[in-house]
Amino acid sequence: MTELTITVLDAVPMAVLELWGDPAPAAKRLAKALGHALPAAGRAAGPVMRLGPTTWLIEGDHAALAKPLGEGGALTEVGGGYARIRIAGAGWRELLMEGGLFDAESPDFATDCVATTLIEHVTVTLRVESDAACLAYVPASHAGDLLHFWRQARVLVAA
Amino acid sequence: MSGVAREGATIGFTFDGTRYLARPGETLAAALLANGVRLVGRSFKYHRPRGILTAGVEEPNALVTVGRGGRTEPNTRATDLFVYEGLEARSQNRWPGLAFDLGAVFGLASKALPAGFYYKTFFGHARTWLKYEAVIRRAAGLGPAPTEADPDHFSQRALFADVAVIGGGRAGLLAAREALRAGKRVVLIEQDAVLGGGLLRDPREIDGQGSAGWIATVEAELRSGGARILTRTTATGHWDDNMLCLAQKLVEPGQVPGHGFAQRMWHLRAGEVVYATGLIERPIPFANNDRPGVMLSRAVRTYIRRFGVVPGRRVVVATTNDDAYETARALRDAGAEVVAVLDTRPAPAGADSGFAVLNDSVPQAAKGGRRGVKGLSAVIAGAEQHFAADLIAVSGGFSPAVHLHSQAGGALDWDEGARAYKAGAARQAARTVGSAGDPPASGAFRPVGNAKASFLDFQNDVTLADIDLAWREGYRSVEHVKRYTTLGMATDQGKTSNLPALEALAHAGGMTVPEAGITTFRPPYTPVTMGAMAGAAQGEHAVPTRRPALYAVHAAKDPIWLNAGYWKRPRAYPRGSETLAQAGLREARSVRQLVGLTDVSTLAKFEVNGPDAARFLERICATTVAKLAIGRGRYTIMLREDGLVFDDGTVWRLGENRYLLTSSTSGASRMATHISYVRNHLMPEAKVSVICVQEHYAAIAVAGPKSVAVMEQLTGEAPPRHMSASQPTIAGVPVHLLAASFSGERAFEVHFDARHAAAVWQAIDDAVAAAGGCAYGLEAMELLRIEKGHLVIGPDIDGRLSADDLGMGRMLNPAGGYIGHSTLHRPAFAEPGRKQLVGLESVNGDSIPEGAMLVPHLGARAEGHVTGAVRRVLGPGHIALAHLADGRARHGQEIYARSLTRGHTTRVRVVAPHFYDPAGERYRD
Repeated sequence: MTELTITVLDAVPMAVLELWGDPAPAAKRLAKALGHALPAAGRAAGPVMRLGPTTWLIEGDHAALAKPLGEGGALTEVGGGYARIRIAGAGWRELLMEGGLFDAESPDFATDCVATTLIEHVTVTLRVESDAACLAYVPASHAGDLLHFWRQARVLVAA
Repeated sequence: MSGVAREGATIGFTFDGTRYLARPGETLAAALLANGVRLVGRSFKYHRPRGILTAGVEEPNALVTVGRGGRTEPNTRATDLFVYEGLEARSQNRWPGLAFDLGAVFGLASKALPAGFYYKTFFGHARTWLKYEAVIRRAAGLGPAPTEADPDHFSQRALFADVAVIGGGRAGLLAAREALRAGKRVVLIEQDAVLGGGLLRDPREIDGQGSAGWIATVEAELRSGGARILTRTTATGHWDDNMLCLAQKLVEPGQVPGHGFAQRMWHLRAGEVVYATGLIERPIPFANNDRPGVMLSRAVRTYIRRFGVVPGRRVVVATTNDDAYETARALRDAGAEVVAVLDTRPAPAGADSGFAVLNDSVPQAAKGGRRGVKGLSAVIAGAEQHFAADLIAVSGGFSPAVHLHSQAGGALDWDEGARAYKAGAARQAARTVGSAGDPPASGAFRPVGNAKASFLDFQNDVTLADIDLAWREGYRSVEHVKRYTTLGMATDQGKTSNLPALEALAHAGGMTVPEAGITTFRPPYTPVTMGAMAGAAQGEHAVPTRRPALYAVHAAKDPIWLNAGYWKRPRAYPRGSETLAQAGLREARSVRQLVGLTDVSTLAKFEVNGPDAARFLERICATTVAKLAIGRGRYTIMLREDGLVFDDGTVWRLGENRYLLTSSTSGASRMATHISYVRNHLMPEAKVSVICVQEHYAAIAVAGPKSVAVMEQLTGEAPPRHMSASQPTIAGVPVHLLAASFSGERAFEVHFDARHAAAVWQAIDDAVAAAGGCAYGLEAMELLRIEKGHLVIGPDIDGRLSADDLGMGRMLNPAGGYIGHSTLHRPAFAEPGRKQLVGLESVNGDSIPEGAMLVPHLGARAEGHVTGAVRRVLGPGHIALAHLADGRARHGQEIYARSLTRGHTTRVRVVAPHFYDPAGERYRD
């Protein structure tokens, strides 16, 4: 895993989208604004990741979504609470199994798959970018600890 | 260099300081036997000389300490330790040495130390046990635990498989190959260093190949097909949903791992588990059956055929089954003399073996001492006969390794032919294959040796006589017998002793073995190091550390830190040589007299949006919310369904349908769970979004008489009045400015996007400093809030008091509807004697010990306790908050605050829990 890189990405605006009531009308309007449907459970599409039954995490500028959302739900800013960490290289799946509970080595966990799991006691949302990289969305307060854990594990696993 | 010169022996190691050579791939036990070392350890209780009984993880005798310093690992089985260059092994539980151990005097006194000796001898006042314990611990025991920190790293890793095969012998290899060929994700787990299991001991032709070739062929197919093969890995426990823990040795115990991990604990989830766990051979009880030179039959065979080590030259084989004849053949092939085969079964058992078989033969007593056995007496068809021998190979039958199957809830079936339990119906997706599911037949017999020297549990020195004694003394449950005698409670968990003991218990009670019952198989199957269990959770990672957005800003001020839960928070910012108390008092006085700022980012925060936001909040909060005007806020409390207060905070109406709810730092996770429960289960239809923004918003509190001027300067506008909010900018950053006070002074909370934390702090810090103020930490906050009578979750609001107990009954929403409302009318809430929040003043000016019990007079029962105590910020004297039975009716009483743990008692006066500005006039401009 020596070729594995762990990079903290620059901060970007982020928001949680939550739909209430009958989500279909709002989802339809949002799909039009986004250019694609809101992703299904365990999936991501464009800047949107499904977090829960009625919640999505939106990465980047989302101001344009407020109007189509209308009264169908709410957008809540959360960007200050996340660190985005990219783990890139052939060993990213192996690294994420360290201290983890989730089957990051499953071949079904492929590009644009999303999972929220625990790694070293920290709730982390994972998004597969490609066969060679995965993005981790880590609560900002835990980021220092988890980065240290990953960087140490990277060396120890490779040894 | 000592020992025996052998071809290929190139690996240097030491045992008790003597240097020997081993061949690659040898266990320490094999290498010691090869070098003529037979005495390896001393027993736990009687310090009896012990050798090597087995060739596997079930070894009860040959326990050694290996490694140096923090890498020291005691109680390592010599049979489960592969020799490496530089290995340092030391015998245990002996003084001054292994050969001459003064502790052996306990063996001479063994008649006075029967089962239950402790219970019968060491009674009296609990304090006297402390004296006994020191002596007992010196006299009995295993290897001492290292006192230095372990320098190695340990890994914990998740693992998933469709099929997990436990055991890499023939049956396990076949099961793994079959699963792989069916397209499954396969993991194969083997505790040995190499695959093969019993084939390493009993090689044979399979599929036209010799054992070694066949094993290599299957291993290659598994690896090329993507199966994961974990050697030196033990499945130590099997839990629900086919979750297993696997302990893997990446280096041998005591070995320096270089730059990688020393061990790894795998957390495996498998679709199906296949137990190919094999058999554990049982000893035969006879007098002195624990002497060096008495060895299990298959172990003898393993040392001969796998390691090329012949443990004896003149051998008696004693058996209850056919398998031991294979050992006799191995011995003969290796050039040893098989003096006799003693078979407990009647003729014609063994008749066609080609050996001198003596049927109806039961071993009676081994002769010889610490240097090893010299012979064996046996009762043969009723007559006693003696044999000279330097090795006694015994086989009392075989017990399937059903431990994991049983841990996973599987039933155990008694096999009368094998006289053993084998796997019955599994409760999970698991099955047993190979010899573990089909143990060989074994004859029944009655031990004939001296029961007091016939050992069942070698490691804990439990004899046949101990089982008989337990039965005579009335112990009937096998679980009670186990605990009374300590049978099966040593580090080997009774792997070799369990069934022989059950046979003995059944005999004592005139029962069958199944009627005697069976004890519980508990994880771990073999000992697991503390390091593997801790994983990365050691040192600074012993617990997760949460750093607030302003962590770096605080760190630059070199504060005294407080670990508040997982959060790292500044406790005080000492100047010069200030102590914590001095710094805290200076900071608190700054707030009382000027202005101060502090980091409150760790508060729980939730944004609540939607048409049903107010309705949702009135379910969560026990105070009214719906009547809040936009831009206003209020203090609130939250109740559990049992009506008791479990958290508090503030709720702010930021827009028509937008609210910000704050609650305590310490209760943040609990509150998030509570809110999720209410949102998703109690109000799933509500048009509301509730998002935790605890980490998104950093928050800074600015408090003190000059706080208004500071905020006006920073925002360029008049700040909001108490319990009102506005949305100005500070340092160009949009903020929520909430006028609320925890300190008792006019104060504000500034909430904003945490990514701008440093800039906003710097701006406020500069303005506060210009006003003569300073930053303050949790120490000052504690002084301020206790003086004001403000409560914290945990000490003050501890989940046992109602709103009325806390003096907040009048805050409750009269319309009800909130969680906990329906239980407030329980009679218990109105009964006398309830603990109520009170204040305490020190009568004589003494400090008041936190946590002290409150008693009306010395020696009386406690009627409450001190929840938080401080000195006054500006004036003299000490004050406290407390819970006191019927406290509100006792204002003016003088009682005692008594702390036995702190050795401090002081007289206090009960007063109202507001020591500073009870009318709240300082909040108002």
